[in-house]
Amino acid sequence: MTENRWSFPDLGLGVGLRTPHYAHILSERPDIGFFEVLTENYLDTGGRPLYMLDQIAENYRTVMHGVSMSIGSTDPIDFDYLAKVKALAARIGALWISDHICWTGVLGRNTHDLLPLPYTEESLKHSVERIKVVQDYLDRPLVLENPSTYLEFAESDMPEWEFVARMAEEADCGLLFDVNNVYVSAYNHGFDPVEYIDAIPGDRVCQYHLAGHTNKGTHIIDTHNDHVLDPVWELFGHTIQHVGLRATLLEWDADIPPFEIIHQEVLKAGDWRRQEVANVA
Amino acid sequence: MSPELERLQRWMQEVVVHPGTVEEAVASAGAEREIPADRLADIVLPSESMTPSERIGVYQGMYLIRMEEALETDYPVIRYHLGDVAFSHLIEAYVQRYPSRSYTLNRLGDHLPQFFLDRSDWPQAKLLHDLARLELAMTQVFDEEESPVLSAEELEAVPPDAWENARLRPIAAFRLLHFRHSVIPHLIAYHEDRPSPNPRRRASWVALYRRDYSVLRLELSRAEHDLLKALAGGTPLGEALAVAAQLQKSSSQRAKIFKWFRTWIAEGLFTSIEA
Repeated sequence: MTENRWSFPDLGLGVGLRTPHYAHILSERPDIGFFEVLTENYLDTGGRPLYMLDQIAENYRTVMHGVSMSIGSTDPIDFDYLAKVKALAARIGALWISDHICWTGVLGRNTHDLLPLPYTEESLKHSVERIKVVQDYLDRPLVLENPSTYLEFAESDMPEWEFVARMAEEADCGLLFDVNNVYVSAYNHGFDPVEYIDAIPGDRVCQYHLAGHTNKGTHIIDTHNDHVLDPVWELFGHTIQHVGLRATLLEWDADIPPFEIIHQEVLKAGDWRRQEVANVA
Repeated sequence: MSPELERLQRWMQEVVVHPGTVEEAVASAGAEREIPADRLADIVLPSESMTPSERIGVYQGMYLIRMEEALETDYPVIRYHLGDVAFSHLIEAYVQRYPSRSYTLNRLGDHLPQFFLDRSDWPQAKLLHDLARLELAMTQVFDEEESPVLSAEELEAVPPDAWENARLRPIAAFRLLHFRHSVIPHLIAYHEDRPSPNPRRRASWVALYRRDYSVLRLELSRAEHDLLKALAGGTPLGEALAVAAQLQKSSSQRAKIFKWFRTWIAEGLFTSIEA
């Protein structure tokens, strides 16, 4: 087990903030360690979403999680976007800002998908340079999530875990370690997820993600629409042993159930956290 | 920056956003400009159970679904009116013409009214243009900045001799719309899950506004619309009311003007008055 190098706190168990749950959260005040806010949902609104977010941020710790930073894109960095991200983080007191190791579009377009990078020295250098620029602008470490991917590029000359680990070290950024994504990509590409986890520099991990997925037989899609599956829980346990305790978030973005069901699911992560800490002790 | 990475990303984007089959996407002119279709296996590895084509097809297959999900959130009335198949057809054509260029999907549908002006040959284009304007305005009102609402006390504080030249300023979350079709029955049909009405070409006027973070509407007569437009546009109260009064033939009709005015103030359409 390791300590996080920036001393980002272990916020315990968190849930992704979703619109259908606003009223429940504000009326019932569930015992949740933190909420993860989908960054882009709050950048251009002065209406109900921001009003709700302000109230929730007054009562809970928050972190921000974006999908449009496009850190691996060959398009120019969008500083107008970053300015809004920075302003929102200041407004709600977000403890950290995360996005994904991916690109979302080029030539000014946005596909709104988390598209995969080739794992090459060139794309590593390109991503590292951009992460440094973004961190400098945001004046804080950027936290980046390992993606779920559905294809591999022939030109890749290193495994994903080496790319992720080197990127984090060379850019001096944080990692949001998505355990479900490791499982999904391992299934899709036929690698050993434990080898991936063991290669991750634990002191750079600031947060964990857990989620459900959909197995199509030939491949798995990262759908975030169901309970976390047992093999992912097992990998989560192994990750705690390797990395340590970190803020742990359950994502549930489609077929969203009542808040209580999501809350019960994330409480299972608490059981795993206690169990793995006891094992180490 | 790596020119190879640039080319790879341009190629993958061309494939992902192509509306046809994955084979058509890989062989499209845009994709072939970057990487010839017969080189696919040199670019994407197969897995144990999927070919390179099937693997990139996972991304390509999800693109239009994602665009449609975003736009059905913003345009539920149009989707309800058209039905699922025709709506999917519309979205496929729309995102080819107006792809997302924003970090947020909330802006993806901003050009739908313009799309129907561009494509006047589209079935029911004129009605759909009106419905798109209505629904786009609803999303704008939803997201506008919150404004303080002009209170009764602030109104009462205006000296009697200042009313003539006083100007009202509307809240930010306010839109005044004029349609060529009767659009509100389509909105009601959607909310009540009743059959969408037959298109009716009849002028209609609507004010959209937000109160307590909910988007509300007032259906207006032409006279109400014209007066409200004048007031929201900054015309002095005396001038706007005089013009409105001239257009009302009887005293009872003229009395309605004050009823309208009271309603608009009570609904919170204005944020301030400059006397």
